[in-house]
Amino acid sequence: MTELANPPVTEVGPVYLELPPLSSMSRVARLTATGVAALAGFTVDELEDINVLVSEVMVALVEHGAQERISVTLEVTTDGFTVSGTTALADFDLHHPDLALCRTVLAAVSTSHGIEATTAGPVIWATLQPRRA
Amino acid sequence: MDPNNNCLTVSEAADGTISVVGDIDMAGGPLLEAAIEQREAALGTTSSGDIVLDLEAVHFIDSSGLRSLLTAARRAGHRHSALTLHAVGPEIIRLLEITGTLDQFTIASRRD
Repeated sequence: MTELANPPVTEVGPVYLELPPLSSMSRVARLTATGVAALAGFTVDELEDINVLVSEVMVALVEHGAQERISVTLEVTTDGFTVSGTTALADFDLHHPDLALCRTVLAAVSTSHGIEATTAGPVIWATLQPRRA
Repeated sequence: MDPNNNCLTVSEAADGTISVVGDIDMAGGPLLEAAIEQREAALGTTSSGDIVLDLEAVHFIDSSGLRSLLTAARRAGHRHSALTLHAVGPEIIRLLEITGTLDQFTIASRRD
């Protein structure tokens, strides 16, 4: 049987979410991200990875934030799916031990990622390129 | 309204196995931890009985949920027992492998 090639992904977004800093909002972000990525043509396996990436971004911002609202951007471009999140917090601890697991997962699942501190607050992002020619 | 409502449910069988349904994430992890602590209390401080989790209906876990499991596994280790996982799905195995924590748990069975 000939395996059908997955079509290339199409650009979608950016989609912006403003979320209260609640642990339950991780699921809201994942559901929205899955919708965006499915619309763009990502495969089921890729959607699972995207779920993980979005969840890790939310873990970092909710557990290590200052209980301020969280801004999440979801976008599919020619570079792939990117989730980026930030919250208002001047002294985000980039080296908190609990972030180690989060970094490890982001590094293993994403194509590229970053956890950065800016004057406005932390910016945590991850990109997944579609696995196809 | 409980903002964490319906993200994860846990129930305990007659043999003490804790069945988990839902996502073990930031919201679900604390609920699971509470159920495990309740089981530990039932076992008593001197018991070396394992804590057994049935993960048949768990299809998502993140690093926050993993921390909840690791905390329970360490406590079990202190009691000279183990945290035993049944029907562990590939998405959970993958996270344990990525984070190098697979050997912290007793994997009794896996599912496809």
